[in-house]
Amino acid sequence: MKSYDNKAWLLVIPALVIVTFVGILPLIAVTNYSFQDLFSLSNPYWVGVDWYRNIVTSERFYASLGRSLLFSAIILSIQLPLGIWIALLLQRSHRFVVSTVLILITVPLVVPWNMIPMIWLNFINPDAGLAGRMLAWLDVGFDYKFNALHTWIVLVVMDTWHWLGLVVVLSYAGISSIPAAYYQAAAIDGASQWHVFRFIQLPKMKAVLSMAVLLRFMDSFMIYIEAFRINAGGPDGATAFLSLDLGEEIQAFNYGPAAARSIVYFLIVMTVAWTFKAATSARTAVAAEFSR
Amino acid sequence: MRSLSSAGRIAIFAMVGAFVLLPLLQTIIVSFVSTIPRAGIAEGHFSLVNYQNILHSAVLKEAILNSFIYVVLNVALCLGVGLPAAYAFARYGFVGDRQIFFLLLIFRITPTVVLSLPIFVLFSQIGLENNPVGIALVHCVFNIPISIWILESFISAIPREFDETAFLDGHSLPSFFVRHLIPAVAPGIGVTAFFCFIFSWVEVVLARILTTTGGKPITMAINALFGFRTDLGLVMAMTVVAIVPGVAMIYFVRNHLAKGFVIRT
Repeated sequence: MKSYDNKAWLLVIPALVIVTFVGILPLIAVTNYSFQDLFSLSNPYWVGVDWYRNIVTSERFYASLGRSLLFSAIILSIQLPLGIWIALLLQRSHRFVVSTVLILITVPLVVPWNMIPMIWLNFINPDAGLAGRMLAWLDVGFDYKFNALHTWIVLVVMDTWHWLGLVVVLSYAGISSIPAAYYQAAAIDGASQWHVFRFIQLPKMKAVLSMAVLLRFMDSFMIYIEAFRINAGGPDGATAFLSLDLGEEIQAFNYGPAAARSIVYFLIVMTVAWTFKAATSARTAVAAEFSR
Repeated sequence: MRSLSSAGRIAIFAMVGAFVLLPLLQTIIVSFVSTIPRAGIAEGHFSLVNYQNILHSAVLKEAILNSFIYVVLNVALCLGVGLPAAYAFARYGFVGDRQIFFLLLIFRITPTVVLSLPIFVLFSQIGLENNPVGIALVHCVFNIPISIWILESFISAIPREFDETAFLDGHSLPSFFVRHLIPAVAPGIGVTAFFCFIFSWVEVVLARILTTTGGKPITMAINALFGFRTDLGLVMAMTVVAIVPGVAMIYFVRNHLAKGFVIRT
């Protein structure tokens, strides 16, 4: 049992000071900017909620929001089942195989984000790339620059390459925390492999999986540098996601509108985090109810 | 759900491995090829010239140094403030503990592009731009939450009696941390350092906006290599250099990667 002691605050203060300095203070500063027209930073002109009104009434915002949601939905529906499946296969494998696969699959996680699109553009280059030449040889008419579907496929495959390792590692951590006694009990009951997955493994993985869902959702929802470098939102705006709109405004030094957009996006992040917290704590409450 | 045979599983793992390795393989191959016309080396032939060029370039060497400075500083900061905070969360309840945990969650998942303008505005006003220290500080926004989560789960796994015995022996809190807690959670510190290193090493949006004119890390030095006539071989050689430390880190923590560290929310 934890003891209640407000002196523990003293231990948390150093961490909070830094988080305040690099997280909260900048947000406060930028909230201030979001209500002003800043031709230059020294010359503010109060415009009230104009920038916000422009964002929430523009069709482009909702189109980008829709594309970002679709992208996240595709990413989650591919990476989550695939990652869990690989983790399940690993669980029944030899120790050596497990560590080899885990090392391999986490390598893309350590590649700096601006190099990932570079590696992939090189890989799918029709003249020099391994995959590009393969596709040219197969004569599928692959053209990621002008065919929207192909750009989407490149982004989804690249993102899966980049992030599958995270889902596998988290899933595997969840699975390997299950005591052997659970499986023995299931075997005595004659449970099928599906039942073992559905009623033992999946519930035991919930904590790590919910973290995987949250991280994967947020990072794919706000995918920026990777998507930008592949096709700069093209062809014809087909891959213009939320963050690319923001990046464009920052690059153009439109401080006011960019500030308002940052705040809008931050509010979206907070909503997602709050929903996630509400959902997971509701589930914990239900679980506590059942276990009584 | 049918059970896959051992051979079937190996075949699937081989496919996964090929999927991961093929794009990297291409990068490694190109890094050993001379990709622009040079005296003495035929274009498109095997050569170590790209790696030699890195060693001869003061700019690129400085970028590698900058990257290491900011990453090491960031990991040290996150561990230094993360360990006491994690201990507080693991052992005590206090006013606002859940709210702080939620705040940390928010900052962990906030994509860096959302914070890039606010941070750029603040840091350029207080003169922390174009400096590895600025990047090290900024990356704390997502790495402090990570370090607190991971360390908290490791500390929670230690029974409370462990602390109480040490305090009865007359240890003060700082001496308990140094003599008992840190050795006991050493694997947790390793895992934390690994994740902080990785997330800081790969981040480019904040790193870019803070180093427009100087203090560039490896990632930004690579961006600067693109131009009218890009030496793709050199770019790929730098990319390989940028991946190697991460791979080394993976190798060091390979046994802990899979062990359960449960992240509390």
